[in-house]
This record gives sequence, C-alpha cells and structure tokens, in this order.
Amino acid sequence: MTTTGDVGQRTRFDVREFARTARGNHRAELQLAEYTDAPLSAESLHAVRYLGRLESATMEHLRNLLVTATHKDARVTAFLVTWAFEKFWIADALDAVLQANGSPKAQDVVEGKPRKTRSEHSDRRGPIRRAVSAIRLGVPIIAVHVTTGLVDEWITRAAYVRLAAASKSAALASTVSMILDVKQRHADFFEDEALARLTGSRRAVKLTRNALLKAAWPIGAVDRSAEDRTFFESYVFGGDAGIASAAAIELQVAALPGLDTTIGAAVAQKLLP
Amino acid sequence: MAFDIDKFTETSVRVPWDDLDLEKFRDHPLPDSTLRTLRYMTDVEYHTVCYTRDLLTTPSHKEADMSAFMTMWNREEFWHGEALSTVLGIHGITVDFDEVKASRLKLGWKDRLDPIKQSIAGKIVGNDFVAVHMAWGAANELSAIAAYNRMAELEKDPTLAELLRRIAKQEARHVAFYTSQARERLAKSKKAQVIARFALGKFWAPVGSSIMERVEVKHVMNHLMSGPDGRKAARRIDSSISSMPGLTGLTIVEDSLNALGIAA
Repeated sequence: MTTTGDVGQRTRFDVREFARTARGNHRAELQLAEYTDAPLSAESLHAVRYLGRLESATMEHLRNLLVTATHKDARVTAFLVTWAFEKFWIADALDAVLQANGSPKAQDVVEGKPRKTRSEHSDRRGPIRRAVSAIRLGVPIIAVHVTTGLVDEWITRAAYVRLAAASKSAALASTVSMILDVKQRHADFFEDEALARLTGSRRAVKLTRNALLKAAWPIGAVDRSAEDRTFFESYVFGGDAGIASAAAIELQVAALPGLDTTIGAAVAQKLLP
Repeated sequence: MAFDIDKFTETSVRVPWDDLDLEKFRDHPLPDSTLRTLRYMTDVEYHTVCYTRDLLTTPSHKEADMSAFMTMWNREEFWHGEALSTVLGIHGITVDFDEVKASRLKLGWKDRLDPIKQSIAGKIVGNDFVAVHMAWGAANELSAIAAYNRMAELEKDPTLAELLRRIAKQEARHVAFYTSQARERLAKSKKAQVIARFALGKFWAPVGSSIMERVEVKHVMNHLMSGPDGRKAARRIDSSISSMPGLTGLTIVEDSLNALGIAA
C-alpha cells in the first residue's frame, strides 16, 4: 500500500487509519450542564463563536485547494475528506457550548463586514483566478497548501490554549483538550507532507515562501469580519503571553525546510494586534 | 417533505462491511466482468471529491446546510470506494491512492478548465446555478442507486448483493437531499428551470464518463443497463428526473444509453 511508508526516519502518516478512526459527534462528552451554574464570559463566547466559524469553513477552503493540482493527489484528498468531517463535528461541539450558554449557533449570528487590506489581495482571490494561476504553478502548489495548513494548526492551537486558560471553565478546558486531541492528527498529516514536499523541491520552497510572506491568518480569515479578526489578534496574541506565543510560532515556521527567520517573522508579524 | 439535514449528519456512518464474509471470494472469486464493473464504481466513488470541487465553485458553499451535506456525502462516498476496493483487493486487484492519482493525472487539460468554466457560469446565474447542480446531482445519485441495485440483482452472490444494497441505501439519502433541493430551487425560478433543462439535456452523461475511458463506460452500461430490465431501470430514473419542475419530458438516461449503443 502507499498509505504508509518511510519519510526519512519517520513513519508516513497513515491516511486509511485516520479515515477509519475519524471522530464524529462529541455532544455526549461536553459537560454542557456545567455552564448552567458557571456560564462563560462574553469574551470567551466571542472566541468560541469565532473559532466555530473558522472550523466550519472547510468547504470554502476545500474549494480553494481543489481547483488546483492538489485535487489530483488522491492521498491528500482522502485526508481532506476525513479532515472536513472531523472539523464539522468540532464546529458542532463549539455550537453546543454556545447554545448551552444561551447564545445562538456561530452561523446564526450575522457576521460583520470583512477587512479590506490591500496586501491580503491574493487570499481574497475567487476560485476562477485561483484555478487560472494554479495551472501555471502545477504540483508544487500542494507544498503551499500543506505548509499553510500546518501553520494554521499551530495558530489555532494557540487560540484554543488561550481560550481554555482565559475562560477559567473546567468544562470548556475539557472540551478544548478533546478538540486539540482531534486536531493533533491534522497537524501530524500537514507536518509530514510539508517536511517531505519542502525537502524535495526548490520550486515548492519558493512558492511556499512567497505564500507565507503574504498570507492572512488563520486560513479563511479574509472571509471573516474585520471586528472578529481584530478581537482574535488581541485576544490570542495581545499582551506578553500573546507575544511569546507568536514568537514560538515564528521559530516553528523558521525551522521548516527551506524557510528561515524572514518568513517566520513575517508570519508572526501578521498575528500580532 | 423537507430533508432533515441534522438527522442526516447525526446518522451518517461509513458503510459497514466487517460482518460480511468477503474473504470467501478467495475460494469463490467473482467473474471478471463483475470485477471490471466494480473497478469502475470504485474509481467513481473515490473521485467524488472532484465533483465536489465543481459544486463548490458555485455560491452554494456559503450555505450551512449545503456544507453539512457535502461534508457527510463526501465521506460516505469515500467509504463506498474503500468497501469496493476491499472486495477488489481480495481478488488481487489493488486500487491504492497512487493509482487513483494516476487516473486523475490522465484527465489532463480539459479537466483543469472545468472549475473555471463552472465558476464563470456560477457567477453569471447566481443561485439559480445551484439548482442546476442539485438536479444534476439527483440524476447522478439516482443512476448510482440503479447501478448498485441492478448489479445486486444480476450478481447472484448474496454477500456482494448485501454490500451493494447497503451502499445503495446510503445513496438513497443522497438522492433525497439533491431532489428536495432541486425541486425547491427549480420551483422558485423559471430561469433555473430553463438552464437545468438545457444543461441536463445537452451535457449529462452516465457518472464516470468524464473520468473513465469510453470502452469502460460501455462495458458498465452493457453489463448493468442493457436488455428490457436495464431499460426499465433507466426509464424509472428518467421519470424521477422529468417529474422535477421544468424538466417534463427529459429522457437523459435513455438517450445516453442510445448514444452509447446499449441494446434495449
């Protein structure tokens, strides 16, 4: 089979095993009754709602990937099918938390207008322009997608960790820990693929560097409201702890094959309020 | 009746086959022509994600119900591919991800332009185009059910028949979603009806036509849809499609069988 195998010293991520053991509906383990006596603060609920919106935007993200050469790679698409399924249920768990706290589901709240920043132009491209430019880019574009996927996992992980700590809610901390557990395998896949693809191709490195210099975070942020993005930046990456968290991501990015401190710093700069 | 998306997502599972004795095929293998058809079906199921891409380039992805359905639909179809490839694997036919990838690479230039073409159409007619996709999806899923059920009938083996019926049962829920979406959206817009009628009448072809060689399409259609019983199944699909608003009189499945020269 081609689902497993060695990548250098590492064992390649097993996509079939991941699909087979996908984790769905979490409602039974969310300790929702706990929120009756200890409801979340407005700030925590805002963070939960924004994370829910990010997690449920899988179909938009899939579209952007699938109009490029990434759709040709059956192993990557097999992963993405299960990835979307797991994220659907993460978003559902976050919705359940919102509802248990008397808030509507994330998608049921009217979202504000997106931020219009000139430098984020390429993230806002529609499917037609993505498809046209992807014809020229070819297969190395997959490296861009898996690397941005990996960086996105690091950033959202920081957000969940911050949420669990700031909320001072045992129930939410337990839900966040379950979510991070599910997301760990997504990060593992992206890391595996990013390391292999960035190591193998100078063109992949070049495209990825260019993409990371310009990217807005987290993935899909350009479609979210300006207000939510500003909140997220100061909530997750504001203050000393936030700056340290962004610095840790900077180091992780810089350590990827073919990337360096210039790229790491560009990513971190975009995270800060 | 409206499709209950919450119920669908809560009850969506990967098709089960652990309880079926597929290992017996080692001693009692299925005939070659059956395996050839199964191979076709496996490829089609694994390629579902490619159709999603075309669907996603329309405004439909902004709707939560549509997103929820497509997430589960994709996964169920992927597992149909896994189930069928397990059967093939027992017969020594390997369908791994690299092989699926190779057939996608063969699609070439035309396929690359597809999402561009579809996006432009999606922009021009806005939400009406979603109606066309839904009617198209209904036609595809209806023919998938017919194919699995026909094969279950033709193939006397009870174990394979049971697996195929389980798959067909999941496809039936997909039909329900697509049909209810298509009906509702078509009923709301005369323009959508005109475009759906034009698109289905002019471009529809049996599922897999865009990804498999014509000789394979003919084999599968001959295997499953030829003769009086095959025609009867085709007419049943056509009558479901033509009962949708604005699609009266369409006979796209029968027309496509005729175009392929499949004997009635």
